[in-house]
Amino acid sequence: MTEPILRLKGLKASIADKPEIQILHGIDLEIAPGEIHAVMGPNGSGKSTMASTIAGSPTYVVDEGQVFLKGEDITAAAADERARKGVFLSFQYPTPIPGVTMVNLLREALKARRGDEMPAREFLEELRATLGRLKMSEEMARRYVNEGFSGGEKKRAEILQMGMLKPDLAILDETDSGLDVDALRTVAEGVNALKTSDMGILIITHYERILNYITPDRVHILVKGKIVKSGDASLAKEIEANGYDPILKELGLLEGATA
Amino acid sequence: MADATLSPAYGEAAVVAASQGRGEPGWLTEQRAEASRAFAALPMPTTMLRPWKYTDVSKLVIDGYAPASAVPSVIGAAPQGGFAGPLAEAAADATLGPIVEAHLGSLVPATEGKFVAANAAQWAGGIFVYVPRGQAFAEAVSVTIDVPDGEANQGAVFPRMLVVAEAASEVTVQMRSLSGAAADLLASQVVEVFAGADSHVNLVFDVDWGLATRDFSTIRAKTERGADVRIATLAIGGAVVKQFVEGILEGEGSQARIRGVALGDGDQHFDFVTLQDHVGPKTQSDVQIKTALAGASRSIYYGVTRVEETGLGAAAEQENRNLLLSRHAKADSDPVLEILTNDVIRCGHGATVGPVDQEAFFYLQSRGLDRRQAMKLLVAGFFNSVLADVGDEAFREEVATEVEEKLAVAHI
Repeated sequence: MTEPILRLKGLKASIADKPEIQILHGIDLEIAPGEIHAVMGPNGSGKSTMASTIAGSPTYVVDEGQVFLKGEDITAAAADERARKGVFLSFQYPTPIPGVTMVNLLREALKARRGDEMPAREFLEELRATLGRLKMSEEMARRYVNEGFSGGEKKRAEILQMGMLKPDLAILDETDSGLDVDALRTVAEGVNALKTSDMGILIITHYERILNYITPDRVHILVKGKIVKSGDASLAKEIEANGYDPILKELGLLEGATA
Repeated sequence: MADATLSPAYGEAAVVAASQGRGEPGWLTEQRAEASRAFAALPMPTTMLRPWKYTDVSKLVIDGYAPASAVPSVIGAAPQGGFAGPLAEAAADATLGPIVEAHLGSLVPATEGKFVAANAAQWAGGIFVYVPRGQAFAEAVSVTIDVPDGEANQGAVFPRMLVVAEAASEVTVQMRSLSGAAADLLASQVVEVFAGADSHVNLVFDVDWGLATRDFSTIRAKTERGADVRIATLAIGGAVVKQFVEGILEGEGSQARIRGVALGDGDQHFDFVTLQDHVGPKTQSDVQIKTALAGASRSIYYGVTRVEETGLGAAAEQENRNLLLSRHAKADSDPVLEILTNDVIRCGHGATVGPVDQEAFFYLQSRGLDRRQAMKLLVAGFFNSVLADVGDEAFREEVATEVEEKLAVAHI
């Protein structure tokens, strides 16, 4: 059988500066090649911590458990190493990088990912095609990364990077937050267009709206650092209709769960 | 160095003899004689003086360093009636001589300090750039000073440049300073810039000395009505680089833009002192100094924005940013405002000292860049706002390469 793109095994993680605060209390998850998984949950459930921990953010430490990428244990690998192996994180709040253009960043990132320089012509062709799919102008690529970008532009710029870097695993952390309907549709259609057939995608979201455009194979509900329920796309519809409370109630988790 | 043998070249008689030996005009010989007397009389600056607070030169004996020859190369085709070449040649020329005589040493008098006095007495291989009224140099004048390892391993060089830009003229000068890695070289430089009405003068200094060279420079520009002066320094090399960069804004509506960038490693020491002196009305100035410091390098910035009582309607910006790339690097920053009138348009100043933004750093790591690649990109981006419009394309590429090469091995 093929190895899953991502496998989390009993993952427990805390804040590096405050090790007494554990946020993830044992997560098990498997994403097969080509699958789209959505992790949903109320505020404070640990969704973004999960995204950051898989990407190797130094803000969090793994207390227990493992992260496997295509069968390889990457739990101890630094963020840059994980990225070169094929992990991509689309940030919830993409950071401005003053003085560094998107083209500049993409060239450096591609060089790191591929291990060699991409021929200039090939790069340019690929960049133009990817920009087009995201309805982005070439001028955007010449601007400084995330500087003075609108909310929609920032998220499109993240997906642009995903499209160029072609990761094995793309983690989209609240890619829908702060977007109006049109921007959300553009970004979501971009993800659909740029997704490769073997790519695993992990969508982290509070709301189900993005899932109206990107259909997940599996939906997981994260509450207080644990996956409390998993299902197919209909689980997201259930939350859309009724919110989180009925599920929390059913699981006896309602009290104190709405952080 | 206190008990080092003093070079006989600094005495007045020797200075006069050397000047006469070079066949210099009488006024210049007299100017040098006066400078040598000032040099003998003036004390070394002490750390009690604010601009020298963090750069202690009490153990440095200037005349312990024998003057060494450093003849710069100059490339630049002058427009009709203009000149870009040796200062000594211009001083002896029938047409240019009076222009040199009228300006040389008048903006930076030899009597104002030990280092400039030494320069005025000793300079050799100076550069004169002259642009007549309404004329422009088609391309940047390129000046290179290169002191290779060898005879000058313990010597002093005194680079000197005089720029006279007449009304509505335009010139760019790019100066590059190089020395051997082992050269215990002392460089004391003086640059005087006279920017005529509505002239555009653009000076770029690429300080790429070897790591045992100490550089003390005074760069001063005076502007007439509507003149626009831009001075940029990129300090990569040198053990000590201390620069005074000053804009004396006399003419109404004239402006000065001062840019400085330093990339330090090891125990390199950079010290920038800037002055934006708003004498005339509606004058504008903008200072931006950025340093990135690896290893145990350090930077000092002390800058004064002064708006005189006569400087009505002035606008000034002053900014100093320091990026610490290592735990052992250090930066001191002190921007000062001296506003003597109520009538100013704006007068801003800011200073920061700190490590690279950790969020930006993680962002780049998450894109696969290792620590050094990420640092390189962040530093290049940090410098970009200063370097993006400095010099010509070839110069910017050269600078980018220098930064890249240095960061490839820097202690970060």
